[in-house]
Amino acid sequence: MEIPYEVTPRRDTGLYNAKLAVWLFLASEVMLFGGLFSAYVFLRVGVIDGVDVPWPWGINVHKTFVLIGFINTLVLILSSVLVVFSWVALKERNFAKFRALMLCTVACAAIFMGFKTVEYRSKLMRHFDIRLTDGSMMEGTIFNKSFDIPFSVESAEFNLIGSSPGFIFDIDGEFPEMTVAWTVGGSGGKEETQVISSKRDFNKWFVRTRTAMTKELSDERKRYRGEIKAKEKAVFAAEEAGTLDAVELKEPVMPDVVTKAVAKLTKPYDLTARRTRVGKIFRGEEGAHNDTLTYADGCKLIGVGGDDRVIFEPHYVDMQLVPLHKQKDSMVWDVIGDKHAKEAWYKNRDHAYEEMEGYYAKKDAEIPEKMLRGYFINIQSIHDKEHKKGFMEEFIYEFKAGIEGTAYHHEDGHHDDHHGDKHDDHAKEVGGAKDDAHGDHGHHVVIKVPRDKIKFLNSHGPRAGNYYATYFTITALHGLHVIGGALVLLYFAVFGKRLYRKNPEHLANRVEVGGLFWHFVDLVWIFLFPLMYLL
Amino acid sequence: MAGSPEEMAKHKRLYLIVGIWLGVFSCVAISLGVFPILDVGPPGATWEDIVIGLGVSGIKAGLVSWIYMHLNHEKGLVYKTLVFTIIFFAALMGLTLFTLFDPIKESYPTIQTLRGLLTR
Amino acid sequence: MSETAAHPHDDVHDDHHHEEPFWKKYVFTCDHKVIGIQYGFTALLFLAFGFFLMMVMRWSIAYPDRAVPILSDWPWFQAWLDNEGRVTGDLYNMFGAMHGTIMVFLGVVPLAFGAFGNYVTPLQIGAPDMAFPRLNMASFWCFLIGGVLMFVSFFLPSGAAKAGWTNYSPLATTTDLGFSSLFWTGQTQWLLGMVFLISSSLLGSANVIATVINLRCKGMTWMRMPFFVWAMLVTAFLLLLAFPPLEVAAIMQLMDRLAGTSFFVPTGLNVGGMAFDAAGGGSPLLYQHLFWFLAHPEVYVLILPAIAIVSEILPCNTRKPLWGYKSMVYAVMALGFLAFIVWAHHMYMTGMGPAISTFFQATTVLISVPSVILITSLLISMWGGSIRFNPAMLFATAFIPMFGIGGLTGLPLAFNLTDLHLHDTYYVIGHFHYVVAPGTIFGLFAGIYHWFPKHTGRQMSSFLGHLHFWPSLICMNGIFAPMFLQGMQGFHRRAFDGGAAYEQISSRILAEDGTFVATIFQKLNFVAEGANVMMIDLNQVTSTFAWLLAVFQVPFVINLFMSAYTGKKVTSDNPWDATTIEWATPTPPPHGNFTEEPVAYRGPYEYSVPGADKDFSPQFEKGEDGDDSPDTEESEKSVSAKSDH
Ligand code: HEM
Ligand SMILES: [Cu+2]
Repeated sequence: MEIPYEVTPRRDTGLYNAKLAVWLFLASEVMLFGGLFSAYVFLRVGVIDGVDVPWPWGINVHKTFVLIGFINTLVLILSSVLVVFSWVALKERNFAKFRALMLCTVACAAIFMGFKTVEYRSKLMRHFDIRLTDGSMMEGTIFNKSFDIPFSVESAEFNLIGSSPGFIFDIDGEFPEMTVAWTVGGSGGKEETQVISSKRDFNKWFVRTRTAMTKELSDERKRYRGEIKAKEKAVFAAEEAGTLDAVELKEPVMPDVVTKAVAKLTKPYDLTARRTRVGKIFRGEEGAHNDTLTYADGCKLIGVGGDDRVIFEPHYVDMQLVPLHKQKDSMVWDVIGDKHAKEAWYKNRDHAYEEMEGYYAKKDAEIPEKMLRGYFINIQSIHDKEHKKGFMEEFIYEFKAGIEGTAYHHEDGHHDDHHGDKHDDHAKEVGGAKDDAHGDHGHHVVIKVPRDKIKFLNSHGPRAGNYYATYFTITALHGLHVIGGALVLLYFAVFGKRLYRKNPEHLANRVEVGGLFWHFVDLVWIFLFPLMYLL
Repeated sequence: MAGSPEEMAKHKRLYLIVGIWLGVFSCVAISLGVFPILDVGPPGATWEDIVIGLGVSGIKAGLVSWIYMHLNHEKGLVYKTLVFTIIFFAALMGLTLFTLFDPIKESYPTIQTLRGLLTR
Repeated sequence: MSETAAHPHDDVHDDHHHEEPFWKKYVFTCDHKVIGIQYGFTALLFLAFGFFLMMVMRWSIAYPDRAVPILSDWPWFQAWLDNEGRVTGDLYNMFGAMHGTIMVFLGVVPLAFGAFGNYVTPLQIGAPDMAFPRLNMASFWCFLIGGVLMFVSFFLPSGAAKAGWTNYSPLATTTDLGFSSLFWTGQTQWLLGMVFLISSSLLGSANVIATVINLRCKGMTWMRMPFFVWAMLVTAFLLLLAFPPLEVAAIMQLMDRLAGTSFFVPTGLNVGGMAFDAAGGGSPLLYQHLFWFLAHPEVYVLILPAIAIVSEILPCNTRKPLWGYKSMVYAVMALGFLAFIVWAHHMYMTGMGPAISTFFQATTVLISVPSVILITSLLISMWGGSIRFNPAMLFATAFIPMFGIGGLTGLPLAFNLTDLHLHDTYYVIGHFHYVVAPGTIFGLFAGIYHWFPKHTGRQMSSFLGHLHFWPSLICMNGIFAPMFLQGMQGFHRRAFDGGAAYEQISSRILAEDGTFVATIFQKLNFVAEGANVMMIDLNQVTSTFAWLLAVFQVPFVINLFMSAYTGKKVTSDNPWDATTIEWATPTPPPHGNFTEEPVAYRGPYEYSVPGADKDFSPQFEKGEDGDDSPDTEESEKSVSAKSDH
């Protein structure tokens, strides 16, 4: 059986099957990315000033990445051109040229993905935001494994219902030896114990005990319902016989199955509890060994909590979410504990105000209320014209006011990316001089932020806010398309010879269709680039 | 469109020129971002920035789809499909946004209340 | 019009199918008919499973204070019941969410679009297979993976998804957060499953469109396509263009759950008294927009195939042409278009704002016009016919009033003022179930009875068919009609204890003691002797009919399997004396479908043509007069140019 119109177009529609299908597929892709772009616009326009996390505005935030994005744009455009020419080569029946051009295209895709990786890594590992409970925000670098809470576990309590307790997943390295204890036969029943020294054993034990417990619960419930029925029957019979007062009725007993288990560790085990899994930490008295850490699944650790303050080097302070009258004594100044920082910040703000005023005075207009809101309740951006240096810096708006004044930035060049390694060294230093909270290292201010003052803490990963969320989601999806498309094109280049010998037109069709997809991927990037990096 | 060799050569020239223009427009876009030539207003992404940024992208997208994806001579069915797709996409984006800019509903008080709640 | 000359190299498929091993012929097959049957059986299984979930829910509603019978000793179930063996809120939510999901995405759509779309569409346009047979197979396996994920999620520690079939955020984002592995929670698996199901639908729909557009046989011009094919084409377009935004929503919700983003998480969200650890700034409204942008077109995906099936069966069994074929075609296109711009009528109560509500109210009322054109045409098609009431026809006939009730009860929901009262009550449940259950499902049953002989060469038993149809019809109405009454009294659609929380409302009297209705209720033990009948007592009526409905599906199951082996053998390839091309194939159609190249000589519904020697003039039979010759390429072109869209 043959499917017609696989190679030659149908007369009345003028299309061969694959071409029709790829356009249909692209139509649905338009809706897919259309949905994502709609979400982008909806979320961005829908931001409520002073309440929602602000979206970073424009090139100023992404200055270190604009170059990468720009190069990637050119790379994709180049690859588009190459695809077209490789198709032309096929049409001219020049297979060698086709193959060479196609391989170049795939190489372009690889370069594109390489740059993306660099960018992702930098966003995920180097930039951090801390939002304090009063809404003030700091951006900077973190030196400890900040998402985690160090905890020295002595014992743990958990439930046998549900999946394995959360703390098991936080044990990395050698599995600590522990004695688990659980009760069979209701409260006051027989207590059983077992010594466990590997994760595998633990899981085995867990599943086995849970199954037994479930069975016990099930049996108990069956018994309980039986008793209810029996009582009902007895009542009924007694009523019939008129002896309701005389008979003694057995009260049904509620099933009583213990679902809790306890693990006692042979010796204290230091683990770092992952922030996303942990609910709360309660600190008992010093030295009492009764701090408790509660996981989201109800699992409880008892032991000694480590120092979980965040060692942080702030670069910017952002007051967009703090009402104007509260900015002066915002929590952030306490946390930073540096007078100069505060002064520098207010200098920058006043500067911004003057500039606004100058702009609107020239226009002979009042400063619109919205603008004022933007600047004073929400310091959205401060035009930093004083320090013109270099090509990229020149017209860049500082989004947030640098706390040490702008001098800090220029001494160090960029405070991020390129100096990642340096920071790591630095972290050790800071770790050594623990109590020196404001460690005097040139212009850096390294502080320790108490956990209970932090409302939200994250790197510039997808969690950081909707800009980053859309950025990661859309670019990742686009990246998947790039990879998929590149694989298909690679397939044509490597294994196309056979089909070419059989029917070159068929291969040309396939390449045309693959090329259409590839151009679409390029098209998406064409819109992504300004939306994500420039506006 | 595999025509005569001359036609092919003509096509090739066109493809090359378009490729160059795409590069040029990318440079235009980035320079608009880096040197805010038109950015006379308050800082941040202004209305003009958005129009220019997306306008340049629109031109680039047009070139790619029109020339490279051969939409300059495609079949009616493809056009029809795409037209409907664009309409539905516009509906999706436009009507969802309509929710935020409902002309009757005054959204301001809600925002005020919300802010009051959160800052109290 | 096969282009054998054009690709002489293509020898891959040639004549191998005789020796194909079992797994290749029935499991990993590329034959559109086998794939259709695979879809059909999987979907029937899921329908049965979804039905089972519903029966448990109905128990909880009717008898919230009694232990679930039979099931309550099964250990898996035990864990979800309370000590007394009653259904817990968690279990109810889980079953409710999964009932909706399974019925819509794993039951009706695969059966209607997957099974019938796959099996019948290529046959009706005279194509040898789908345009992309291997894509077709991929689509089925994608669907199966999605289905298995959904099913398996019941047995995870967290149970399956619990946030409703609509899966609204932030509820869906924050359910089951207490589990140490968020990935292995039902809620997350639901999203993953959806991503697979959506991908499957996208592949399937692109395939159907390509097939219909490019593989029509000689003479099969646009306006000679059976209405079924038109409806499938529009359905495929709905799936193709409406599903991606839901895929986006699913991906974003997945990110919210797994990567901690806050696409749909508003600022200041508290969960269980604790601040939810996310950046905030998201919009729950956005989720609803993206969801309903799909889900409204989805309801037409549910109903169009049923209308399509009915419009094949009606002309065949009334021996009359389909009335208003052209207007039906245009109506279905208008419907397909409008379906994309009415979605926010599900969101009147979200505080969207009156201007936008008004817009959507207007479009919603508009869309009922093409719907009414369709149903009126079907109704008129029966006028003056001498009707052959075989089981297929019975179901098809019943479809019309049932769909009518469902559609008409949609109108009060379309106006945002009345919707204020009716939203999220049992009235809404009644509305859409009238459309989907006695509507679509009856249409699908009709299709099974109608095309069964084509595939098996045997007739289904008419007796069992009647035994299936009449009780089903009664039960369906017994289930859904009371819902309108309750809904108008304000019964909330998601109250798991059947409205015990609505004591005030449920004290409304439906019938006083001594009246006829009350006597019946008392006799049936639904209310005590000498008591009035309250609105809340209708719960028991509904539930009882639901369980009865299950019982009366047994004849169908028996019929389906038994008739395949013992049914009356058909004597011709065209047992119903139908006119469309699928009846020109051998019985059952082989791989490749047609033994000789099919040609469409005339329109699809030429029954009782005056002057013809039979009461049907099949599309595939050459007639005497010159008009019946297939169009030449030229006229085909001009017809397609005129009639397309
Ligand atoms: C004339 C036609 C129709 C109109 C005017 C209409 C109108 C509506 C409206 C306004 C609602 C929202 C009610 C609410 O939540 O308050 C609704 C719900 C619904 N309709 Fe329709 N409808 C029509 C036809 C259909 C058809 C043909 C189907 C499908 C097969 C359908 C399936 C549904 C479903 C599934 C829901 C409930 C969704 C949910 O909230 O879970 N409707 N309808
Ligand atoms: Cu709707």
